[in-house]
Parts: sequence; C-alpha cells; structure tokens
Amino acid sequence: MDIMVAVNELQSMFEDMVTARYYEERLQEEYLEGKQPAFDISAGPIPGELHLAAGQEAAAAGVCRHLRDSDTVTAPHRPHHVAIAKGVDLKRMTAEIFGRRTGLSKGKGGHMHLFDPDVNFACSGIIAQGCPPAVGAGLAATKRSEDSVAVAFLGEGAISQGAFLESLNLAAVRELPVIFVVEDNDWAISMPKDRVTDVDDGSQRAGGFDMPGVRVDYDDATAVYDAAKEAIGRARAGNGPTLLEVQVHRRMGHFMGDPESYRPDEDKEAAQERDSIERLAADLRSEGVADDDIEEIRERARDRVDEAIEWAKDQPEPGPEEAYEDVFVNPPSGVTTEEPSHELAGGDD
Amino acid sequence: MSGNEDRVAVAAADVWPEDAEADETAVVVNWFAREGRQVDEGETVCEIQIEKVSIDVPAPTDGELVEIERGEDDELSREDTLGWLAPD
Amino acid sequence: MAQKESQQAVERELTMSRAMVEAIGHEMRENEEVFYMGEDVADYGGIFDSTQGLLEEFGRDRIMDVPISETAYIGAAVGAAQQGMRPIAELMFVDFFGVCMDQIYNQMAKNTYMSGASVNVPMVLTAAVGGTYNDAAQHSQTLYGTFAHLPGMKVVVPSTAYDAKGLMHNAIRDDDPVVYMFHKRLMGIGWMPAPDGPKTPVPDEPYTIPFGSADVKREGEDVTVVTLGLHVHRALEAADDLAEDGIDAEVIDLRTLVPLDTETVLDSVEKTGRLVVVDEDYRSYGVTGEIIARVAEEGLADLEAVERVAVPDVPLPYARPMEDEVIPGTEDIEAAIRSARS
Ligand SMILES: Cc1ncc(C[n+]2csc(CCOP(=O)(O)OP(=O)(O)O)c2C)c(N)n1
Ligand SMILES: [Mg+2]
Repeated sequence: MDIMVAVNELQSMFEDMVTARYYEERLQEEYLEGKQPAFDISAGPIPGELHLAAGQEAAAAGVCRHLRDSDTVTAPHRPHHVAIAKGVDLKRMTAEIFGRRTGLSKGKGGHMHLFDPDVNFACSGIIAQGCPPAVGAGLAATKRSEDSVAVAFLGEGAISQGAFLESLNLAAVRELPVIFVVEDNDWAISMPKDRVTDVDDGSQRAGGFDMPGVRVDYDDATAVYDAAKEAIGRARAGNGPTLLEVQVHRRMGHFMGDPESYRPDEDKEAAQERDSIERLAADLRSEGVADDDIEEIRERARDRVDEAIEWAKDQPEPGPEEAYEDVFVNPPSGVTTEEPSHELAGGDD
Repeated sequence: MSGNEDRVAVAAADVWPEDAEADETAVVVNWFAREGRQVDEGETVCEIQIEKVSIDVPAPTDGELVEIERGEDDELSREDTLGWLAPD
Repeated sequence: MAQKESQQAVERELTMSRAMVEAIGHEMRENEEVFYMGEDVADYGGIFDSTQGLLEEFGRDRIMDVPISETAYIGAAVGAAQQGMRPIAELMFVDFFGVCMDQIYNQMAKNTYMSGASVNVPMVLTAAVGGTYNDAAQHSQTLYGTFAHLPGMKVVVPSTAYDAKGLMHNAIRDDDPVVYMFHKRLMGIGWMPAPDGPKTPVPDEPYTIPFGSADVKREGEDVTVVTLGLHVHRALEAADDLAEDGIDAEVIDLRTLVPLDTETVLDSVEKTGRLVVVDEDYRSYGVTGEIIARVAEEGLADLEAVERVAVPDVPLPYARPMEDEVIPGTEDIEAAIRSARS
C-alpha cells in the first residue's frame, strides 16, 4: 500500500499499540492471580468480567491519532486499547480496574465503565449504547459551532442493534460530526459474524442512511490512519458522519475464562499469525527507523505500564460507606431547598 | 460391602482432554451422586474443570458409588481417582 | 433391576442449570413447537449454562443463536407465541432489558388484555440475574420488582434445582407469558461457585410446580423471613446461625412474584408476629415494600415488628468492599432478624 504517513505518526501509533498489548498481558497475569487452578470469576485482585483487546489495537491507534482531547470517544465493553490511544490517564484507569479509591470512578465503575472527562472518554457495557451519546456529543459541538468530533467504537456484533442503526440515521439527517468505528473481530462471543448478519462488509449499513461507509479490510494501522483521517476531516469540516469498519482479530477469548470451545483451531491460529504490531514494526523499519529505536519505544511502553500497575496496586480500596456517594452530584434536594411563594391569579373564589 | 479389589475407579484419566498440559491441575466442581447411590453406566456422576473447561465424568459401570475420593473443590491431576464404584 | 429404579435410596442431585435444561429438553421432545432463542445459546450453551447440551440434541433450528438485537428476537418470540408456538427467549443478563423493554411490557405483557384475551402469548422469557461477583452496575441487578410491577407477565424466581425444574415445566406449559429469572450464583457453574443449597435431588420424570405457591424452606416460630433467589440460601444460613442462640426463624421462599402467595406469608406472620423481608433488588418501590404492604393490609393486627433488607437505592458498585456493603449478606439478615425480635 502506498500510503504516506509521517514517521512520527507511525511511531506514535506503534507506541499506543505496544502499550495496549503489554498492558493487557500484565492485566491478564494480575487477573489470574487467585483464580487458579479453579477459575472463580469473583476471586483475586481484579474480579468480575475482563474483556481484553489483544489483536484489535490498530483500529484504536489509527483512529485516535487524529483526535484531540476535546473530541469525544465512547467505547464498548472492550475498552482498554481505545482508552490508551485516546490518552486516558493510565494510572487512574488501572486503579479503577483494581477497584481502588483513586481510580477514575473511585472504584464504582470497573473495567467496562471507564470515564475520563479530561479527554472526553466514556464507556458502556451495553452493546451499541455508546452510539447515541456520541451522537449527542456531535450535536453539542454543532450547536456550539465547535469543530470537535465524536467517535463511537463498537464491535461487529453491535451493528444489528437498534441503538446503532438509529444513531446512524440521526447523525446522518442532522449531518453531525460523528464517526462510527466498527471493530470487526469476526466474533460476538461465540457467534461468528455470518450467523448473525448476511452482510460481509458492515460498512454497507451506511448506504441505507446516505452516509459514507468505508471498510479497512486488514488491521493495518496505517490504512486505518488514512481512512480515519478522511472521515474525521470530513466531520470536522461540518460535512457529516462516516461509518468506518476495520477488520481486526481476536487473539484471546471473548473474556477471561472463555474456554473458546466453539472456535475452530485454524481460526485461533490465524489470529495469532496476523499481528498488526509486527506489521507496523516492519513499516517502521522500512521507513528507516532503527531497531534500537523501535526497542526503545517498546521499553518506554513497558515501563509506563509497569509503573501504572504498581501504582494502582498501592492505592487504597474504597470504604464500604463510599458506596452511598455519587448517585447524584447535587445533594438530594437539588439546587435549592427553598420554594418561592407565588400568588397565582384565578382559582375558586 | 465388596472388597477393594472388586471396586471400579471413576478415573480422571478417562475424561482428561488429550490437549491438556501434563502438569495441569483440575478441580472438582460438582458431584451429582452421593455415596450409596446406585448409578447406571454412562450417568454423569460429577463434573470437573480443567483450564476453565468443564467436563462431565460418566460412571464407568453400573454399580453403587461407595466412596468419593475427591470432593467438591478438591484439586486433582490426571492420575487421580475421583471415586469408587462397587459394580452390580 | 426394577427394584433399583423404584427404590433408589440416594437420589441423583443436579445443579440448577442442569435441572432447568432437563425441563427444557423434555418439553422440546414432547412438543415440536417449543424452541429457544438467545445470544450464545447454541455452541456456547448459554453464558450461564442455561442451554448446555441442547444444541447437540435439537440442532440449530430449535436452539437458535440470534443477532444482538433483543428487540427483534424477543418481539419475534411474542409474534411466534401469538401464532400458537411456545418460544423461549433468553435475555443474557436481565440488565439488558432496557434495549427491548417495549416488546416485553407493551407487547408481550399487554396483548392478552388489550385483545380481551382473544390473543394469548404462551412464551417464556429467561434472564440471568444477580450480583456478588463484581460485575458492576450494568451486569449485576436482579430487577425483580421492575418485572413484577408491570401487569401481564408471570414472574418466576427459582432458588433450588428441584424448584427450577418444576417451575420451568410449568412456565413452558403456561398459556401466558412467563419471565423466568435465574440467579447466576445459583446455577452451579464451575467459574461461579454456588453456595450449598441450590444443588438438590431432582426426580428424573417431569413434574410441575404451580405458580403462586411459596415454599416454607425452614419452619420456625419466632420470626418470618420472606425472600427469594440467592437470598433464600443466605436467609437459611442466617437462620441456622441464630438457632444456636435460640432464635427460631421461618424462611419462606416466594418462588413466584406474580402470582404472589400472600396466604403463606400471612399464615406465618400470624404465627410469629414478626416479619423480615430480604431482597437483592433495590429497596424502594420494590418487593420488600410490597410484601410488607400486603401483610399490613390483611394482617396488621398480627404484626409486631417489621424489617426490610435490600440493596440501598444505589446502582451496584464495582469494587468488592462497596458491592459487599450494598448486597445483603448473611450478617445483615441476622441483624434484621435480631432487631425484629427485640
Ligand atoms: C444489549 C446487550 N446484549 C448483549 C450483551 C452481552 N454481550 C457482551 S459482549 C457481546 C458480544 C459483542 O460482540 P461485538 O460487538 O462483536 O464485540 P466484541 O466482543 O467482539 O469486541 C455480547 C452479546 C450486552 N452487553 N448488551
Ligand atoms: Mg466482535
């Protein structure tokens, strides 16, 4: 492919991707702590579900490279790679995943519900439900005449969900600056794509809404970068939304603890072979970046991740009573405790 | 009760997956029969978990479950016996 | 051998998921019009083992993996049911009802009434419920009260394998829509260990447990504890602990919320005079308030003390210390029983 992407951009994407990959390798180790040999989902320092995104980093890195802090991103149940590429505070995100008081949400959200308003990042664990709020962020930008954009990330399993399709339509009819990014990893838990939709190319869904639909057929960060550049540029210029589907691959089970008995061995092996990180490393080399420099990026990523995890594990747990806080930002009575008295005209007499 | 030599082992090896690592440890998740129950050959008597995969263990013969050797939550390896049947 | 069959001294025991599956399999064998739709119900066998092994026997036409389109497939179950079929549709987590509630409460639950009962909707909606494993606010709710509040659906909450099988048979045969809410922690899944209690002896043959018949899981003289689902087992544990101190609690498992067996509760309160209601759903506007109101309406004179134990009105927090705080534990139930006694 003859895509011209500046070397420093390639390096930044590479750093996001290796950070995400190493981060998840480390989380996996931590998660399994206390869960072996019997896998008990509620045991160990990270309890609950954990959805890792190894193999999907290129989509997040290629798209988020074009985003500013003021741009909004909504991510689904598999959010770490997107959060990292969007610049979410890694330490506080990690503390959240470990359920600590200094986590992004003070331990209330957990790994599927990461919120970092500093970089306009939010998640939902309900399939496709990040799409409407992304449309809302686009709407706010339009109303305020700002040039920020919103990106909703979702999996290919989510493209049959009403919230997604309704959002496409609303974004299209109002010409909102929203980009819907479908990470097609071929699977929705145990359901292969062709069992749940007759469309190979999910970006075709865009046609029904008179919106551009683009598919990047291979999880190549530079190709994603290029496609996203056009889509985001269009949105920023006030020319409306785009649906962008990126072929990625799922290197692991749907969530930790998924035995993947439903998945053919060849499919698992194929996923291992297609490594977008190695591919980008090769691109870097062919652009003349030295192996030492590539290794330096990897090392920097590892240090940052190790530091974040170490920091997070040192953080205090929330106290039980903290569960009662934060249902509302206002005290229960709201803005005022006083009701003005009005003399209303009319009435019985 | 019949002597030891007549008993038939409910053996982990009978259900151990071929692709599991040699040193893998399994855990007993559920027993569906208690000692004293007459079981039929093929009836699922217990369930073990190896590497997150759950596996049903069938009775190797008709007979009475006379001893449970590995109870629920106990760990076991490939060579271990889960329990013993006294065949009819 | 005949003797062995009829006089089995020790019953086989099943986990709750296997008991449910046995009932579904039986009904599917008996009636070709029964089929199951849901996400990951075929090859995966249900994320919480609710359909384990059924694909092998019944194939993909009857154990149907469906797109992540809850409105479409739950609504399709409504439509097929109105054609006289007996679909079972699974909502993987009850928390996802938000994306498809119209089909549930405006269509499934109302079509019978709106048609003057010229139409009926013989379907079952199964859903996994409950917390205790740190899955946070969008995957840990029970929402018992939400479904029971809206008229037109029967609501079933089994707490043991025995009940799960009999209630499932009844649910599939019922000519009305039934919401069958199974607690993840009770299913007997390897990766989410169940407490002692839900695994019970289960007869091989089919049997039905009627709706609207609560089960006294433990008899006692001093305090009536009314509960359901996972908290049946927590209440029984609390009652056992308190027995050592000479406090004799009666534990009633409601088993169905709609219809509700008020009679069994009233009879018990008449005996004990003290009522503790334990629920894993939110405290306000829910099961605890409803049970207490029913007793107040019809047995106020018997009532000397009332306590309720439920999730305080906050979403389910992720971190362990906070989740443990808000989901009622055995000690919370013990404390409520003691305070009802004092
Ligand atoms: C409305 C809703 N239905 C079902 C689920 C359960 N669920 C969680 S992830 C998932 C599969 C999603 O597949 P996909 O969108 O392709 O994302 P992937 O997991 O492959 O990244 C399902 C069905 C959910 N969270 N929300
Ligand atoms: Mg997918």
